[in-house]
Amino acid sequence: MSGQVVALSTRALVAGYERDLPIVRGVDLDVKQGELVVVLGPNGAGKSTFVKAIAGLVPIHSGTTALGSLDITTVPAHKKIRHGLAFVPQTENIFGTMSINDNLLLAANILPKEKRARRIAELYAMFPDLAARPSLRAGQLSGGQRQMLAVARALIVEPSVLILDEPSAGLSPKIVSEVFARLKQINETGVTIILVEQNVKAALAIADRAVILVEGRLRHEGPAATLGDDPIVAELYLGARREPKTVTP
Amino acid sequence: MNPQALMDGLITGSMIGLGAIGVTLTYSILRFANFAHGEFISWGAYFALAVSSALGYLSGGLLTPIGPFSFGWSLPISAVVAVALTGGLALVVDALLFGRLRAQRGTVIIMVMASFGAALTLRSLLEFIFTSKPAYYSKALQIALPLGGGLRATPDQMLSLGLAVVLVVAVHLLLTRTAIGRSMRAVSENQQLSGVVGIDVRKVVRTVWVLGAGLACVAGVMAGLLVQIRPYMGFDLLLPLFAAAILGGIGSVPGAMLAGLIVGLAEAFAVQLVGAEWRAAVAFVILVLVLLVRPQGLFGRPE
Repeated sequence: MSGQVVALSTRALVAGYERDLPIVRGVDLDVKQGELVVVLGPNGAGKSTFVKAIAGLVPIHSGTTALGSLDITTVPAHKKIRHGLAFVPQTENIFGTMSINDNLLLAANILPKEKRARRIAELYAMFPDLAARPSLRAGQLSGGQRQMLAVARALIVEPSVLILDEPSAGLSPKIVSEVFARLKQINETGVTIILVEQNVKAALAIADRAVILVEGRLRHEGPAATLGDDPIVAELYLGARREPKTVTP
Repeated sequence: MNPQALMDGLITGSMIGLGAIGVTLTYSILRFANFAHGEFISWGAYFALAVSSALGYLSGGLLTPIGPFSFGWSLPISAVVAVALTGGLALVVDALLFGRLRAQRGTVIIMVMASFGAALTLRSLLEFIFTSKPAYYSKALQIALPLGGGLRATPDQMLSLGLAVVLVVAVHLLLTRTAIGRSMRAVSENQQLSGVVGIDVRKVVRTVWVLGAGLACVAGVMAGLLVQIRPYMGFDLLLPLFAAAILGGIGSVPGAMLAGLIVGLAEAFAVQLVGAEWRAAVAFVILVLVLLVRPQGLFGRPE
């Protein structure tokens, strides 16, 4: 599915909430058009901060981010979506006090007026669970339905790049597989996806490529199909959480 | 008990309700209690007075009372101008003070203290420019008309009440049926997510200031028309405004208006039942009771 054109890139990206305490420390990454890349790493590796910095939610102290050939390093978060970069945060990714339809209308607001109703209808066709109860308060949805609404909301603007921060967090394994299957379908329509995940197995199953962040630095990358068996991954990723060996008497 | 208290309460309550809408919107979106909001009421009334006087000076015919009302065309025209000027004043205060504090990630207590400072400054400026001598839009006398059931109201009072209802419905429709209203509700719920979905949060903040200050201006013009214009008129309404905003539930426009009417009626009936000297205490009692019994107010959701 992926081509050779770079959809999103970062160069020497340094980011964090405090200038003197960077969490992301010089990450270079190229994501090709149509690719599904999963960002892995142990807890505290800076995965979420990395994608939030790309989305404009965490200050970038140095380095650049680009969408295709367009430098978006200093573009404010609310304008990035107009350039085709959509972001789904890990938590609080829907407006719970508003209806499903209002959530979609909000996102559709940046589309030309004549396009809004058609696009929302397309999204309802894609997510029939949401179409069944458009006036339901979004806060009443289940975890999986909330993720679907968040993804639908992000897709309204037909983004070229979709970034998701741990969409499986708090979901049951069955729902996780449904969400990931849907993400794969979306990716197959040509949308480039960057996925931050803790659920390594499920993420590698749908990804084209995986990159591993450790302590804010990109330490390893490779095809998703083979990365699971790569011993370096165990060292970098799983090793960080490996229990000390116990001595059997 | 005199049933006229009902009419008096509704009229006072409509002014409180309009002011409380601005308080509730500012609180729900900017997350701080703006104690300078009362000054927008006073400034709105004085802006309208200044423009009305200037129009009257330019054309005496504009001061001739319209039909049964006590004022001429100069007042509705000046009220529209005053709404724009008060909205502009709120934007200037935000640009000079609150916006800078937000940029420095000022805490809620800093914002609240800053709003006290802004209130003092704005009130002192009014006294400096217009003096503390009471002023009036019109000195024409009006006879209260019988409405049945022992109730009486002047045409000015009935117009004010009708205008308040129209404005509340308009603001409610704006919030629930329009794109900017949805954006305001979104920013109120989650500012970061609002940015992610493409909402320009700064634009929404500016809209809230203009809307809140504009409604405060209308409340000020109504108070000026029905009572008198004084630099302290907004300050005197501050406690009832907050009582209404909290009783209605922070963020709820219909709640603020309904609660404004409740506070106004409670004040009016308290005057009859326990004496006028207790009027000011009524809002305080309501505020304390709501905070103790139902802190989320009538239409608010628990945090």
